[in-house]
Amino acid sequence: MIGLLLYLLVGIGLLVFLWMLARRKGAPVEGCGQQFVEARQALRTLQLGLLPENLIERIFDPEDFRYVTAASPGEIGELFLRERKRISLMWVRRVRCEIRNLMQFHLDYSRLHAKLSLLTEIRLALDFTFLLLACRALRLLLYLRGPYGARAMVRMLTAAAGRVCAASEKSLAFLNPPALESLRRDSAGDGAAI
Amino acid sequence: MSAPAKHSDVLAAADDLRRRTLVEMTQPLERLIYLASTRDYNTGLYYHHGLAMRFSEEAACEALAGCHREAFEELVDASLEELVHELQAYLKSTRVAPNDFIVAWKGLEPYRVAVPVGIDSLSSELVFSNLKVALAILEARLMARTQPGASRHPSPVQ
Repeated sequence: MIGLLLYLLVGIGLLVFLWMLARRKGAPVEGCGQQFVEARQALRTLQLGLLPENLIERIFDPEDFRYVTAASPGEIGELFLRERKRISLMWVRRVRCEIRNLMQFHLDYSRLHAKLSLLTEIRLALDFTFLLLACRALRLLLYLRGPYGARAMVRMLTAAAGRVCAASEKSLAFLNPPALESLRRDSAGDGAAI
Repeated sequence: MSAPAKHSDVLAAADDLRRRTLVEMTQPLERLIYLASTRDYNTGLYYHHGLAMRFSEEAACEALAGCHREAFEELVDASLEELVHELQAYLKSTRVAPNDFIVAWKGLEPYRVAVPVGIDSLSSELVFSNLKVALAILEARLMARTQPGASRHPSPVQ
């Protein structure tokens, strides 16, 4: 009788475990399309939304601050610094988030590849580690010293992020073959859409 | 709005729009507000009667969207000094009493609904932030210049 109860309990336990596994929000299958699309999205956000030179120049260029201090009373200067600090912190937070997305993609992607260049992988791992640490340090610096207190670090961070983007671009190059782009352009001519 | 417009039609429509309509608006801010006003809030599609008649609704829509993005990108690239000049020029072009304009823009922040689709949130936040500071600068200048210039109309934003 006790043995039967024990088996029943084990059975129920297993059923509950299976039910929990089935209900668990499915982690994406390694190497599935979703991962590539998300990585592509992160890369595009970095390249077009967060790392363009003109945008970084705009955010961290002290010329705006000089203009404000010369042209208006003190409280507007304070408002400007508050606003620019908010924007610069937002920038570094977003860069970190997208870098983490790309790093996750590279971690998953590297598991699927048998032919890996050890040197490239080590360099990439170092770049990612440096970037994540630099983002944290930059956030702290921006918080403490304001938007114009860490311009050299911003330059270093953007250069390293650019390198990581270039490496990721190579990994994702198959998603945007140039032939497809030219087909898409030409297709509009006869009304067909790709 | 079904089939996508031909690329050449969109280019021609954009060129036409620039030459006939946007040429009058020298400031990107003015263009941005105008182009945003041609967009339907419910569908997100742009409509310009003359352009749609000359080309097609689809081509006109894409041309307006492209020019809208262009104007916004110019604002992202503008320095604060340029933005203050633009805001000043726009204020003049509206022929609204400066105080009313500033009260309305500070309260309603109409520029927030003038952002084109697909713009990164950081760029739009940067433009909003710069416009906020530019408005403060303009307000301070107005206050310094004259006090009795205040309008007697009721404020639209209370």
